[in-house]
Amino acid sequence: MNSSRERKWRGYLFVAPATIYLATFAFFPMVFAGYMSLHRWHLLKQEHPSVGLANFAQMFANPFFRNAIYNTLIYVVFSVPLGVVTSLAIAALVAQRLRGVGFFRTLFYIPAVSSQVAISMVVIWILLPEVGLINSVMGWLGLDNTTNFLAEPGWAMAALIAMSLWIGLGPRMIIFMAGIQSIPETFYEAAAIDGATAWKRFRYVTLPLLAPTTLFIVVTTTIAAFQLFTPVYMMTKGGPRRTTDVVLYHIYKEAWQKFEVGMASAMSYVLFAMILIVAALQFRIMRRGLIEGGAE
Amino acid sequence: MNADHAHRAAVSVGVLLIALLGGCGEESAPHERVLRVANWGGAQVDPKFMKLERQIREEFEAQHPGVRVQIEQIPGEGQYAPKLLMMHVSGSMPDVIHLDASYAAVFMDNNVLRDLKPYIENDEAFNLDNYFENIVNIARRGDRLYAIPLDFTPMVMYYNKKLFGAAGVSYPHEGWTWDEFLETARKLTVFPEGANSPRQYGMNFENWMPSWVLWLWTNGGDVLSPDGKRASGYFDGPRSVEAIQFVVDLMTKYRVAPHLRESAAAGVDLFRSQRAAMDLKGHWAMIDYRADGIDFGVVGLPTNGVAPVTVVYEAGLSITRKARYPDLGWEYIKFMTGKDVQVRRVASGLAISANKQAAAQSAGNPVEDAFIRAAQYARPPWGARVERYAFIEELGREMMEDILYSDGELPVRQALQQTAKLIDAALAE
Repeated sequence: MNSSRERKWRGYLFVAPATIYLATFAFFPMVFAGYMSLHRWHLLKQEHPSVGLANFAQMFANPFFRNAIYNTLIYVVFSVPLGVVTSLAIAALVAQRLRGVGFFRTLFYIPAVSSQVAISMVVIWILLPEVGLINSVMGWLGLDNTTNFLAEPGWAMAALIAMSLWIGLGPRMIIFMAGIQSIPETFYEAAAIDGATAWKRFRYVTLPLLAPTTLFIVVTTTIAAFQLFTPVYMMTKGGPRRTTDVVLYHIYKEAWQKFEVGMASAMSYVLFAMILIVAALQFRIMRRGLIEGGAE
Repeated sequence: MNADHAHRAAVSVGVLLIALLGGCGEESAPHERVLRVANWGGAQVDPKFMKLERQIREEFEAQHPGVRVQIEQIPGEGQYAPKLLMMHVSGSMPDVIHLDASYAAVFMDNNVLRDLKPYIENDEAFNLDNYFENIVNIARRGDRLYAIPLDFTPMVMYYNKKLFGAAGVSYPHEGWTWDEFLETARKLTVFPEGANSPRQYGMNFENWMPSWVLWLWTNGGDVLSPDGKRASGYFDGPRSVEAIQFVVDLMTKYRVAPHLRESAAAGVDLFRSQRAAMDLKGHWAMIDYRADGIDFGVVGLPTNGVAPVTVVYEAGLSITRKARYPDLGWEYIKFMTGKDVQVRRVASGLAISANKQAAAQSAGNPVEDAFIRAAQYARPPWGARVERYAFIEELGREMMEDILYSDGELPVRQALQQTAKLIDAALAE
């Protein structure tokens, strides 16, 4: 009995650092931001009058904020499925035991260890008209090489989505690869004996058994997509014509150009609610679709 | 087993050494006072300038035994002010900060800085008359003064002498008009028959409001009312509408300046790559121009029926309200803004010294003289007076995109009226 109490005490000791850290730097700020969101709160002024839900009413009355929500959703709707599918496809390829495959794994992972700022700079160069990588190739092929991807409404968002596929590829690929490699070889052998083709083995063995991994990746990719900021800040500043203006960029402007941290907190809560709803939906749909029904 | 063992031993020794060294550091200087000075990233990337900065710092430390100056670099575009304001709120603010005029208002109007007037009055060794008065006044609020200026730069018109020579056009003169400017820009534009866009432009254009706002000013227009409280009637007033129409016409009608599509298409600074003959910039730009070997001249901005005007961007030093060593901070400010240090610092070419004696050292140089002339009639930026001006500049940048990408669908007057309303709303909140 004595030793079991001691064991408990030790257990708490082990979780204490993480708990204290999270409480201080995550839970407390979250609760406090909720409090601030109900006030008119200038970063440097002493008075913080309570305004109820006025911050929320005001932001939804603002057409530019609604436009930013729309843009954020567009980005999520395109970048998440494309990001998951491409990284799964590449993971399936590099998970095979082939000679020199380590080289490709490293190559695909490199963007993940680079700063997003540096990547933005490289992508700006890739996308430049005439002298950029893409347009240079277009020029060699005799095609129109004057498209200014970051300055044309329509193209800029597409460019950001394309960039997200590249940046996010590494981490997603590694996790998918781990998932694929943990599937016992015997399943594939059994399927092969039954005459399943490579595609069928992938569709009916890999995919269903990978479902928990896929769910994890879909949810984390979605959360990251909702929080798009650095490339917008570095490359487009929300332009051209507000076609890449996203929610987090508005939060930044409220907090650091207008110093309205109350409004910025309220916007953060709206973003949080959006993420929560979408993630909950993903859990429900994927549980049913993949984990239960996927094995067919 | 042996390798593993040796590895562990090495790590332990390393950890022990670090602990010992850390301990020694504290013991050797028990009463050391650390003066924390915040600065943004900038010319420090130049190794020569970095070396100079370190020498100057060491001289100050030699003059003040027991003092260590700790420069805290906060790099990153747009991140300096936010970081400092967070440090202020959380109680970890440095003693002295570099204050940039373009976002000084939020610091001066929220009790973040100390009034330097008492320091000036109680210090016989310091004479405020040694500094350019209109530069000093940028950091003034009524009777209070929140910064001593280090250096400054008015915005001026750079022109490429080689391109002017090739086109056989005489250099612009002080007091020139918009009409003369347009005439000059037209002569310097090279637009080959059948091409989609000019090969060479008379004037560069960037959608950067701190630069294009000057077209409003040189036409007698402005962004805000004199009290800085509203934009309606000013930003959408007839002089402002005329000014923005002129800027848009430069790109779309006269084709003497690159449209946003074209400047982004070039991917490089068109003036630096010698494909634009004129550009509106500050003193800092000439560091790059010199490095690129561009033969340039400098002249005041052309105006349209008003007296010469431009903006002056400035950097000064302030003592923070939460400073631990405010008196030492004052000593540092005196030292840094003094003639000896200033003479050496301005040699970097970044800006012009606000110290008259130091600035006088470069008198006779036609380029420097043009800057000094412009500084006499220059106005402070709105950001020194209106704390949300960064947000207003964002609205201005978006408006310019709206106008230019609408390809004529959105009339200038309507765009300015819409934006004036948005600015009013942002200021009224």
